[in-house]
Amino acid sequence: MQYSRIVNIEVYKIFRNPRTYIAFLVVAVVVGLIQLGFYTDGKTYLSFGLRSLSDTFDLKGKILNGYLMAFIILQVLLVNLPLLVSLVAGDMVSGEASIGTLRLILTKPVSRTVLLLGKFTAASVYTFVLLLWMALWSLGISMLIFGVDDMLILKSDMITQILSSDVMWRYVAAFGFAIIAMLTVAALGFFLSVFAENSLGPIMGSMSIIIVFTIMNTLDLPIFNRINPFLFTSHMLGWKGFFDIKVDANNEQIVGSIENLPAVLTSAGILILHIIALLWASVIVFKRKDILS
Amino acid sequence: MHIQVDHLTKNFGSFTSVDNLSFSVSEGEVYGFLGQNGAGKSTTIRMLLSLIKPTSGSIKIFGKSITEDRENILQRTGAVVEKPDLYKYLSAFENMKLFSQYSGLFLSKMEIMRQLAVVGLESRAHDKVKVYSQGMKQRLGIAVAMVHNPDLIILDEPTNGLDPQGITDIRNLILMLSREKKKTVVVSSHLLSEVEQIADSMLIINRGKKIVEGKVSELLNPGKVQLEIETLDNSSAKEILMASFWSSSLVNTTKDCVLIDAERSMIPELSKYLVEQGVGLVGIKSVNSLEAYFLSLTSEHAV
Repeated sequence: MQYSRIVNIEVYKIFRNPRTYIAFLVVAVVVGLIQLGFYTDGKTYLSFGLRSLSDTFDLKGKILNGYLMAFIILQVLLVNLPLLVSLVAGDMVSGEASIGTLRLILTKPVSRTVLLLGKFTAASVYTFVLLLWMALWSLGISMLIFGVDDMLILKSDMITQILSSDVMWRYVAAFGFAIIAMLTVAALGFFLSVFAENSLGPIMGSMSIIIVFTIMNTLDLPIFNRINPFLFTSHMLGWKGFFDIKVDANNEQIVGSIENLPAVLTSAGILILHIIALLWASVIVFKRKDILS
Repeated sequence: MHIQVDHLTKNFGSFTSVDNLSFSVSEGEVYGFLGQNGAGKSTTIRMLLSLIKPTSGSIKIFGKSITEDRENILQRTGAVVEKPDLYKYLSAFENMKLFSQYSGLFLSKMEIMRQLAVVGLESRAHDKVKVYSQGMKQRLGIAVAMVHNPDLIILDEPTNGLDPQGITDIRNLILMLSREKKKTVVVSSHLLSEVEQIADSMLIINRGKKIVEGKVSELLNPGKVQLEIETLDNSSAKEILMASFWSSSLVNTTKDCVLIDAERSMIPELSKYLVEQGVGLVGIKSVNSLEAYFLSLTSEHAV
């Protein structure tokens, strides 16, 4: 009862704060720019990328379609979205501490644990709505502008074709995975937020950790390779796994399949473990914290 | 007793902010909590509200321990700690609604407006808080503190940063809460004059330690005063007084005056004696001894 009340209040506060809408504006502008760019020069760009294949295969249909556009946009945006998520998550506790409302809230008969869990749930709602917004723009609007056809995904060593009838569920799953990935970022920002008295520290802290971990993921060095499987950044792009399709003995693609489902599920599991651990640590710290702001 | 504090101590590392402090607040009274800036008032208030955990000692409010029964106690307590920070992007009405929900209440529009009327903000209820003056924010802060109709109201420096009219408004509001609404009010301040005008009882602390606690009427007994005697030659005046009946009352001599603790009624006799002894008397100013003591703390702090 108290929990749902707190969630309602916190969600209300997030969406009444004008600053919240910066992220929605940024997503709309970035997606719009990518769509504009591909709408005007996309065919030239793709024909350049596919020129070696055109000599071997006869490529027909709408290669530049809404599904491909959404894939391109997701690749670009899901790398930058953590900043937008940590803008709100990192502000949830420290932002209230800096403006002084945290001490006023805590003079009310509210359990600290319930308050923190309510705040995280509200940050999760924001993350979910932001991703829904991104899905609407990247997939929905792209489908309207560029139409729908089979989806071609170019990789360094191969090309994957996914039938148009087999695409939509993959996007739903990919967005579901992206929500878990972004909630991990939110949990990190939230955890750092519990320690800070202003929101800049947690936001910068979250981004710094993500940058450092990503560099460790990128450098192919044995010392980092031993740690990398445990870093959440190694698993944040697991959504791409939904676009890898199994092939049968005749090298035919199996509709509705995922090439390495256990790897995708393991990544999701590791991210969820990170969320639980960070949230648990946040509660422990917050319950003991002296409110000096 | 509404509040019973025993041997309360708070250390921040090696610094002791509150040192073995004990005091009690009775039901229905206005309790003044007096001390200079940095004396430990806000830390004590934060411990009363469970914002800060004590290093040692106990706090009982309504007969229950704040560490064990925090939510039940806060259900009956309202507070403004330091300045009342509210959501600036929301109106006064929305802030009231929000904080009433934090307290588990879903008040009607009429009830919220009625509560805003108590602090004189009903006509500005739908203005965003960011356009409010400091005095209006302070009044709204008190309204937010009272939104769940608490029995105990704790106000930490409620007149800080206010203009004279704002100070008067808050003072009247506190007196109204105590006399008409029968609330117990704890008010902290660094100004004796402020506490003197509204409090029934008071506690003075300095460097985290209790200096004195008691009824304001007794502590500020107008009969007992400190006299600042200004003469043409203060050292001669001091010698004359040292050799007289007044020697035991002599407190100090400064460059400007001689200080004596005395009853107010003895001023004529003292001035007559000094004149008879040929002291060039310029003037005698009486200051309440507690006020004098508090001023000495302030000047000590200023140095």
